[in-house]
Amino acid sequence: MNNGLRTRLLLILFIFGLGVYSLFPTMRYQFLSDEKKSLLSKNEVEYLEENTIKQGLDLKGGIYIVLEVDLPQLINNLASNKDKKFEIFLDDLSNQYSNNTGDFFTLFEKNAIDKDLKLPRYFINYGKTKDQITEQLKLEADDAINRIIEIIQNRVDQFGVSEPTIQKQGSDRVIVELAGIQDSERARSLLQSTALLELMIVKNVESTNTIIRQIDNLANASNSIEDKKTDVENLFSTDEGANDLQFSSLLIGVGNDIGIEKNNLDKLNAILEQESIKQLLDATNGQFLLSNSAKTFINDFGDEEEIYIVYHLNKNAELTGGVIENAQVRIAQSGVTAGQPIVQMEMSSAGSREWARITGANIQKRIAIVLDKKVHMAPVINSQIFGGATVIEGLDSVNEAEDIAIVLRAGALPVPVTIVEERTVGASLGADSVNQGTYSMIIGLLLVILFIVLYYRMSGFIASFSVIWTLILLLGVLALLQATLTLPGIAGLILTVGMSVDANVIIFERIKEELRKGKAIRSAIDAGYQRAITTIVDANLTTGIAAAVLYQYGSGPIKGFATVLFWGIIVSMFTAIIVTRFVFDFITSRRNIEKLSI
Amino acid sequence: MDFLSNTKINFMALKKAGFTLSSALAIGSILMLMLGINLGIDFKGGTMVGLSFSEDVTIQEVRSSLENITIDGNEFDLSGEEVKYFGSNSDVMIKIKSFENEPKNFGQGVINNIYEIMKNKAPEDKNEFVLSLGTVSPKVGTELSGKALWSIVSALVLILFYISIRFEFRFAIGAILALVHDILITLGIFSLTGYEITLSTIAAFLTIVGYSLNDTIVILDRIRENMKSSGTVMFENTINKSINQSLGRTLITSLTTLLVIIVLLIYGGEIIRPFAFTMMVGVIIGTYSSIYIASGFLASIYKSSN
Repeated sequence: MNNGLRTRLLLILFIFGLGVYSLFPTMRYQFLSDEKKSLLSKNEVEYLEENTIKQGLDLKGGIYIVLEVDLPQLINNLASNKDKKFEIFLDDLSNQYSNNTGDFFTLFEKNAIDKDLKLPRYFINYGKTKDQITEQLKLEADDAINRIIEIIQNRVDQFGVSEPTIQKQGSDRVIVELAGIQDSERARSLLQSTALLELMIVKNVESTNTIIRQIDNLANASNSIEDKKTDVENLFSTDEGANDLQFSSLLIGVGNDIGIEKNNLDKLNAILEQESIKQLLDATNGQFLLSNSAKTFINDFGDEEEIYIVYHLNKNAELTGGVIENAQVRIAQSGVTAGQPIVQMEMSSAGSREWARITGANIQKRIAIVLDKKVHMAPVINSQIFGGATVIEGLDSVNEAEDIAIVLRAGALPVPVTIVEERTVGASLGADSVNQGTYSMIIGLLLVILFIVLYYRMSGFIASFSVIWTLILLLGVLALLQATLTLPGIAGLILTVGMSVDANVIIFERIKEELRKGKAIRSAIDAGYQRAITTIVDANLTTGIAAAVLYQYGSGPIKGFATVLFWGIIVSMFTAIIVTRFVFDFITSRRNIEKLSI
Repeated sequence: MDFLSNTKINFMALKKAGFTLSSALAIGSILMLMLGINLGIDFKGGTMVGLSFSEDVTIQEVRSSLENITIDGNEFDLSGEEVKYFGSNSDVMIKIKSFENEPKNFGQGVINNIYEIMKNKAPEDKNEFVLSLGTVSPKVGTELSGKALWSIVSALVLILFYISIRFEFRFAIGAILALVHDILITLGIFSLTGYEITLSTIAAFLTIVGYSLNDTIVILDRIRENMKSSGTVMFENTINKSINQSLGRTLITSLTTLLVIIVLLIYGGEIIRPFAFTMMVGVIIGTYSSIYIASGFLASIYKSSN
């Protein structure tokens, strides 16, 4: 073997070795049974998991959720001296924000200018000029999002998900990927819940009765005005809306509480959202909230009715979740809830003192335990409570109790989040597509090999060898990059196999052409490669450019495709131009071949 | 084996027929697209739910269970939404358009309702019932379409640029024309089948772009090489010669790629099928367009300039 050949062989062997080495953890992980996996140390498993090619959620099953942070709400929280003008400004802003794709703060500034809103009036703590304030608010938003990520990370960790991915997207979104999750409903509520715990005093019966009467009057008044306005429209409708809108007629007595039937919820909300009623409630420092779940009652006619309890509470919380230091799930030992799961909370020492003061000052009153604006229970305070112990009752299942304990321990989100994009793939669907996809890829590959071997004989073997190595090396690169393989990624693999076969075909056809011209084998190979290379480079580079652009601008799945394609091009050029060339040179250097099998 | 050498087919003789066929197909595709392209929730926003029942169900049955969906006390009639089988008669896919004031966790709410109504036909474990659930808000949908479109357009522009440098501007126009032609017609045929366009099918379209481009460049490269010896005199002959010289390669590559794709189409499973179908159509159209669009275009413009 001459020197040139030896250097090339060493280079090729080195790269092959590297490819196999980086693919080794993936292979090992794939073939490892669960039983053997449990025998490995934690470090070893982590090492394997980190260095394998990950399967995307579309293949493995799991959930992908994009959460959008409610920035208008954050702005609302930060503002002081809020007035009507500010409210209108914020309403418009959040409408525009939810319909437009632009940056929130650009919209914010534009709206402030359009509406001639004096920002320093509302954000005096954040600067003196519009620019200063916007800058500062941006920092606050950034901070809020970072805290949200931290809290969600915490929740997910406690929930026990392996390899969760939580990352920021743009300035107002968080992407959460949980692989292999079975119960997506539970995971979703865990991510989404703001976990704002509030302890609020329930208003006494007299003031509740008064406010119900006042609301009835107001609702009737505004209703009659609306009636006049929409007279013509209502002319032909048989809607008896006027009576239905009576607040008190919606309410039903449930023991000492008042309740509302599930089907009437939208009517209740319609009344409570009326401007005049909002103002009335604000003026009396009150609000109405519902119980966390509906209870089934049998009514006078023997029918089942699902009823929510309606609570009339102080508007401001006495204490919020920030004081909670620990939360644990217990099974209630006594009382009406005995045997049911409860969440037991412990407060910080400052919180405990505050709690003792509040309970001491409100003996015989009821205190509502409110989580995310839903009342879980409202017991009567019988005596002052020391030591900061509180419980949450009224939970449907141990799972629910566990999840509440998790979110309470991890803390409340500074601002609510909403799901703007979600993709859940059931584990079975994912597994099916992996199996079928892999299976058909292997069959396809075998057919291709069979075809080129039949067509090109000996040289076909060389081409097959290079195609298989292209796949191995490409997977090796993906493992090195710790890339995630998704369905579009598999498309990239197919295209790579196609291009790798193509490169070989281009070379072989050229060599054949040269042979037909009557050239000797050695010089036909030389000329064939030389001519084919320009074609291959041009074709691959053009596709490579496309891949790079797609990687730069594309989102999720398209990016995955672009990564595979880009590296596929590089690897297939290496195997087609350098590896197969070496094999041809090696064969022709050793013996004097009379006829090339091509 | 060597039955593809020394072919002397006069491809450019059929140039006019090719142009006519392509124009007809392209116009047909544009009409198809205007009639309504089945965009998935990725681009329009909406909710898509895949359910797996434990026994066969009828579409009508599922549809009627959608009539009365109650979420947080609000009732929805979703029986007008799209319901279809997914692979077998026990799996269904439901696509619901997004609407204003959609309640939180709408998709899950719909699943829970159907599960309650059709409990006797659903598996006991609700997690086995849910095959997939996708929700995209209209806002994100707009963003995703924008991004997808922007990435494809900028890729095309850069390719145009590269080919102009390496070859000639006229070559680049031919290549881009062929690409647009391929995407357009594949889209048209795709929308005929009623499959919907998702981010994954976009990946399939990109694969076609890659493949077709590769194919076009190989032929253009031959033309460039042959032009060196013969210039643009008798240009159609040069082009015919180039196509014939690379015919072996064109057919073998197309055949091998089609082999893989057809296997995927048959055995690849329900998710991969639309994807494989797109690629199959694309490969056939892409091979044809390299000859009749990219090369045909070159033949026409050189003819008129000489």
